[in-house]
Amino acid sequence: MEPLHARYPFLARSREAVEAAAVDLGEIVATDETVTARALERVESAITDGTVGEPHRRTRVELLSYPVARVLVSLVDVHICTRKYAQAEAEAAYDRFTEEFETTTELKSTQRETLDRTELLAEFDLASAVSDAGDGYRVEVGAYLDLAADQRGDSWRLVNRPLADGEVRVTAEELNVLLKQAIRHRVTDGLPFTVPDAIADELTEEVDRLEEVLSELELTREIDTVVPELFPPCMKSLLDQVQKGEHLEHHSRFAIATFLVGIGMTTDEIVDLFQVNPGFGEEATRYQVDHIRGDTSPTEYSTPACSTMQSYGDCVNMDDLCEAISHPMGYYEQKLDDTDEEELVDWREDEGDEEADA
Amino acid sequence: MEERTRAYLRGRFGDHYRQASVTPPPAANEREWGFIPWTEGPGETMVRHRSLLDLGEIEDFLGRRKPRHVYFSAGRYDEPSASTMSDKGWRSSDLVFDLDADHLPSVVLGEDSYAEMLAKCKDALLRLLDFLEEDFGFDDLTVVFSGGRGYHVHVRDERIRHLERDARREIVDYVRGIGLEFDELVDEESVAGTAGRSSPAQKRTLSTEGGWSARAHRHMLAVVDDLLAMEEADALDRLQEYDGIGEGKATAALNAARSNYEQLEAGNIDVHPAFYQLAKILLHEVVAADNAPIDEPVTTDTNRLIRLPGSLHGGSGLEVQRIDREDIDAFDPLVDPVPETFRGHDITVEVTDGGLVELDGDSFTLEAGNQTVPEHVGVFLMARGRAEKGKE
Repeated sequence: MEPLHARYPFLARSREAVEAAAVDLGEIVATDETVTARALERVESAITDGTVGEPHRRTRVELLSYPVARVLVSLVDVHICTRKYAQAEAEAAYDRFTEEFETTTELKSTQRETLDRTELLAEFDLASAVSDAGDGYRVEVGAYLDLAADQRGDSWRLVNRPLADGEVRVTAEELNVLLKQAIRHRVTDGLPFTVPDAIADELTEEVDRLEEVLSELELTREIDTVVPELFPPCMKSLLDQVQKGEHLEHHSRFAIATFLVGIGMTTDEIVDLFQVNPGFGEEATRYQVDHIRGDTSPTEYSTPACSTMQSYGDCVNMDDLCEAISHPMGYYEQKLDDTDEEELVDWREDEGDEEADA
Repeated sequence: MEERTRAYLRGRFGDHYRQASVTPPPAANEREWGFIPWTEGPGETMVRHRSLLDLGEIEDFLGRRKPRHVYFSAGRYDEPSASTMSDKGWRSSDLVFDLDADHLPSVVLGEDSYAEMLAKCKDALLRLLDFLEEDFGFDDLTVVFSGGRGYHVHVRDERIRHLERDARREIVDYVRGIGLEFDELVDEESVAGTAGRSSPAQKRTLSTEGGWSARAHRHMLAVVDDLLAMEEADALDRLQEYDGIGEGKATAALNAARSNYEQLEAGNIDVHPAFYQLAKILLHEVVAADNAPIDEPVTTDTNRLIRLPGSLHGGSGLEVQRIDREDIDAFDPLVDPVPETFRGHDITVEVTDGGLVELDGDSFTLEAGNQTVPEHVGVFLMARGRAEKGKE
């Protein structure tokens, strides 16, 4: 078991190293608490902050925690957990290999073994699908679509790419992002699997812990998501006017404010958002929002229904989904449900968090 | 449709199938098969989830059951006859494109004749093939006349058969030009100060290598060539037909194009702000002109059933016909797919919905009532529900 295996536990050679060491997973989970604890940390951090936590200083513990983490994910058997876990493993590997790609050429003779691009491409059967194009790479379109179809952003769309003779041009950085996706697919592959009872019985505490973490996550997620692209057309339009600094009638101001409160924004966030509009004095806005929230009034106001929006003339740009719902909040909930959770970029996280997406 | 009409068509389809040779698609035994029999009533019920094992040898099956419509799946499965998709065990799918005259924006329904619709559909087919061959580099294409109002293209390239729905949607968007962003097509690079006083700090270029940017580039150059070949005054008039281009911008863009032609050829569109604005407008034109308006759900559905080439279309009596790549230009959808079986003799039909029928190089204007017509015309009318079999 080498340090490289522990850094990239999803590689075929890492799995072989585990197999060659003839480790019995059943025995590990029964006797080696360090490994189980590190495995739990991998999954728990994945759920709570999208990382796999700090690597354990012992190679053996770090490497063995990977198969045990997969067992935990399988036992929990919840889609969102599997997805977040695979994403976090892929992010961790991405951080490591991008750093190693950069240093390989200069520091080839250093003590530690590193992973290079050729090897990683070969690992995912991409050796023949990717060729060097001098100032970047060419990727066969089938391989490109496998790895780029669920990337966020217009620049990944095939339609915006020079595609010629079945090959797509990408930069070296973009190829790294595609490799990250290949890792994510690799980690997801085969999850969840069936876990023998003997192993499951040893991990009940860890599984309970993860279920608890997940249930907390769902409670907060339910309503606390601010993705303006998914707002109903009426709210999009009002928000747009607010941000352009246009004057809004009282009923319109009320509608957008109740909506933003309803989806979990704090008074401070709403005040910040409204500040560009000269029509919203900070104090007045703060008062109004607190009032709506029920902090300074006995009533908690809720967002007007579609019928009310219509009668005030605030219902604009109706789309197909509008026909099917009767409340702006229903529209938004539906849109959130229909969208892959990873695709959701919360407005409040978007700022200053660009590098995560690079 | 009256019973006697149904019985007649079923019998004649059977006669046809007993002589015809039908080549099944590759891996026929890994696919789901479906068919619609000649049953009573207005509703058509598809018999599906059949494997070739259930149907037997395909030509024998066609001659025996004489179905009205026959389909096979784009998908290949472990258990093609399992009754649910999850039990079937999906392995891969052909990538299938459907061009249907009903969905073409250029077709005016109720105004264009059947022949005109099919001609527009063939233009779209040629545009689609250009994408598939040049951009995607596919060389294993099967082009099929659907027997109705359009064409199907089957791609069985191993490198794309495993693609799932989302990836297939990207391909749909590509050939339809959906989501094309001008800013994404244009490469921006900083230009060093030595490039000349008038040169902007950013140089914006269209890649001429491939994709929509190369298409946009070709289109832009073609327009520029036209303009430069015109009298100056005509060229300026022509330019001012574009939105937001007045006399000043037209003059500036034209001059910039004339004095920087080599730059334009190389893909640089930053020769002048007015020209840049023009280039942006031209991009939108190229999407409208070049896109292939395929029917999205057919391509994204990895379990789709597709008409079997070589079978007869029960709604027209025409053959669902494979067309060799080099024969596409000459292919006449109103002549070539007329089955030999229905040629060379007349039958009597009771026309209920008269009008023009163009078929097999001839045209007939039919009035309601008993008419004696070539059999393929009679079959066409009966299959479309515009006539009943004449009483013997």
